[in-house]
Amino acid sequence: MTRIQREIEVWGTVLFLDVTSNVDLTAAFAKVESYVHQVDETFSTYKSGSKVSQLRRGEITIDQCPPELIEVWNLCLEVKELTEGAFDPWAVAGGFDPSGLVKGWAADNSAEILKAAGAAHIQVNAAGDLALRGGFTDQLPWSIGVVNPDNRLEILQTFEIQDGAIATSGTYERGAHIYDPHTGLIAIGAKSATVLGPNGAIADALATALMVSGRDGAIWFTTPELAEYSAWVIDRHQEIAWSIGPATA
Amino acid sequence: MKRFLLITAGTVGGLGAVLSVTPPQLGSSAIDFGSELTALPTPETTTQAPTPSQSATSTATNKAAPTKTTAAKPTSAATATTAASTPAATQTQTQSATPAPTPTAKTISGDFAGPVVNTRYGNVQVEISVTNGKITNAKALLAPTGKNDKYTRFAIPVLKQQTLAAQSTDIQGASGASYTTYGWRLSLQGAMAKAGL
Repeated sequence: MTRIQREIEVWGTVLFLDVTSNVDLTAAFAKVESYVHQVDETFSTYKSGSKVSQLRRGEITIDQCPPELIEVWNLCLEVKELTEGAFDPWAVAGGFDPSGLVKGWAADNSAEILKAAGAAHIQVNAAGDLALRGGFTDQLPWSIGVVNPDNRLEILQTFEIQDGAIATSGTYERGAHIYDPHTGLIAIGAKSATVLGPNGAIADALATALMVSGRDGAIWFTTPELAEYSAWVIDRHQEIAWSIGPATA
Repeated sequence: MKRFLLITAGTVGGLGAVLSVTPPQLGSSAIDFGSELTALPTPETTTQAPTPSQSATSTATNKAAPTKTTAAKPTSAATATTAASTPAATQTQTQSATPAPTPTAKTISGDFAGPVVNTRYGNVQVEISVTNGKITNAKALLAPTGKNDKYTRFAIPVLKQQTLAAQSTDIQGASGASYTTYGWRLSLQGAMAKAGL
């Protein structure tokens, strides 16, 4: 077994890969690298030529978009419904912006590329949105820490994950960047929101939505659709954290 | 899950110890914590709106936490709040340190510097001091400067405490993480490998 740790600069951040495998993954790493840059070309709101930018400007409709963008669009619709509108990529100034979901979605897909190539233990960390496969070793799950929003170097909580995703939203590195779609103001529902679950796209979007709704979002996790999802949230009143779901029991 | 429960139990113990050694800050927050908990209704049916449980984050307490808090037994304050958790939403403690694995007997001693790790925020390099196979000190030889300096100055001692408490780099990833965290851990791993730990 060989363990390889690698960084890919993309999406204005760094994608971190930590993979252990018996088989040669040179081609798979190249495929992931090309995939994540392709995601950037399609989904970046900073690139005027991206499909999402064209969609935002109304130059094309969703029907004219590539299948991966239609897939993300549908995932956004699903989470908008699950969160009673707290996650709403259509309410963003400038039009449809799926950024709150794409990172977790692409991390998941990157992990699947590595898994399909035969990797045994996979961590894809897209700046805090992680996709995990196969545990850390044959015996141990991945142990993932949640960072203190006030102190990036401090781990406040750890979760053990064999297969699945964990995503954290908060006022971390890039400052406050989540807006409440109902008010247009900066989200104040939580200081930091972490979501664990099987699907990285949904976990990422739920974490974003919890930043908006805070404790009011706890009820989403009682629906059958989100039975496998868990949340661990630090209130904006800093001293208090709350949690719900199977991973936090 | 069993391990997670163990970790939770350990962190409850750690928080208990912190509560017992840092009365000035925690006197008031412990009271708020208790009163908020008692004010929460216990959900009786599954259709009822969930009641998220409370827990005190140890953000403030970590500053004053001694390095061996995880080994301490839970105090009554910590165990009482655990018992108050509801089935609908469980209580968590946000103590940062995980339970310390039993260090194996080793006779290695000396200072060991890890590799310089280049992060988005600057270079990070960790040096550990080892006495009889146990990390007795950890410091940053290099840490990011500039606009992240205020974080770094505050953060390095906390991470050092975690290192001493855990005696291992048993977290493989971080959610909501910065790259400085990776830098610290990668350099620490290198230093530990050099020391043969």
